[in-house]
Amino acid sequence: MKPIHVALLLLLTASIVVSSLDAREDLGVDSATSMGQPNGTPLEGFELEQRTEELSSLMRCPVCQGLSIADSPTLLAQAMKSEVRQFLAAGYTEAQIFDYFEQSYGEFVRLEPKAEGFNLVVWIAPVAALLLGLALIVHRLRSSKKETTPIGEATPVDDLDSYRQRVKQEVGS
Amino acid sequence: MNRTVVLVGALIVTPLIVVLALSFGKDPRAIDSPLIGKAAPTFTLRDLDGDVVALEELRGQPVVLNFWATWCQPCVVEHPLLIASANRYEGQVRFVGVIYQDEPQDIRRFVSQRGSWGPSLIDTDGDVAIAYGVYGAPETYFISSDGVIAEKVVGAIRPDVMASILGPLL
Repeated sequence: MKPIHVALLLLLTASIVVSSLDAREDLGVDSATSMGQPNGTPLEGFELEQRTEELSSLMRCPVCQGLSIADSPTLLAQAMKSEVRQFLAAGYTEAQIFDYFEQSYGEFVRLEPKAEGFNLVVWIAPVAALLLGLALIVHRLRSSKKETTPIGEATPVDDLDSYRQRVKQEVGS
Repeated sequence: MNRTVVLVGALIVTPLIVVLALSFGKDPRAIDSPLIGKAAPTFTLRDLDGDVVALEELRGQPVVLNFWATWCQPCVVEHPLLIASANRYEGQVRFVGVIYQDEPQDIRRFVSQRGSWGPSLIDTDGDVAIAYGVYGAPETYFISSDGVIAEKVVGAIRPDVMASILGPLL
């Protein structure tokens, strides 16, 4: 085979590969329209895998019971995790990625709700309940202390007289 | 009874009653889509014949976008209704299917046996389903002629529901 033929063959192969890649990139959802330009740095290698796991562990699997997409074996969760990886590799930030999934699944997709608005109840209520419980315990302890007879104070003798009389009667002495 | 106990009990019980009261009358399985009233996510996919279909190109007519699969029994149940609806609204409404977690050859076999109501698009990575917030199959999205999601129906769609949603979109 002549060099010119080899060169033509290589050129043809390259053009086929490029056109197939282009076709693949064109297919699918147009996420760039809703996400805009990436605001972060494209990740790769170990850092990409690590951030993918981190973000996936914070994202709820829509078809599971309280599982993250990192922990779920479902196809939907795996597809979502794959998208997270693609977005991080493209340079999208955590906020941009969460916003994207929230557009379709709502805030439900966050395993940890945002600490703002009505959601603050979720963050404040446990602390408030704990403080309220402590206050109640302290209050009960103080009031029961007032009612208890101080240690060392003798019980009035008169209180026992009725019992002594009853013992004597029952023993028959 | 101690007033403090009553007060604390009321503080705990009242919010629970309010939450329960607000939830009564609602379908616990119904999950509101945040996409209702918003622009439908645009996509480009290939159908079973290899032809490219872009949602943008369907503008100008309402679109019924149905996520379905052959393994999904409610999808099989609603299939005749979709065929009947596609015939009834021919020229007025575009019916488009997106294959959800299924193999194209199974879809081909299914439509060759039971008929087709529109192109079935191959969502290989599942990213179109994710962009639409799909939880499972079947889910049907009604997109207005200007590309806004008007309604979403989860589960097998009924004829009266189909008519009542499509009516205002025509």
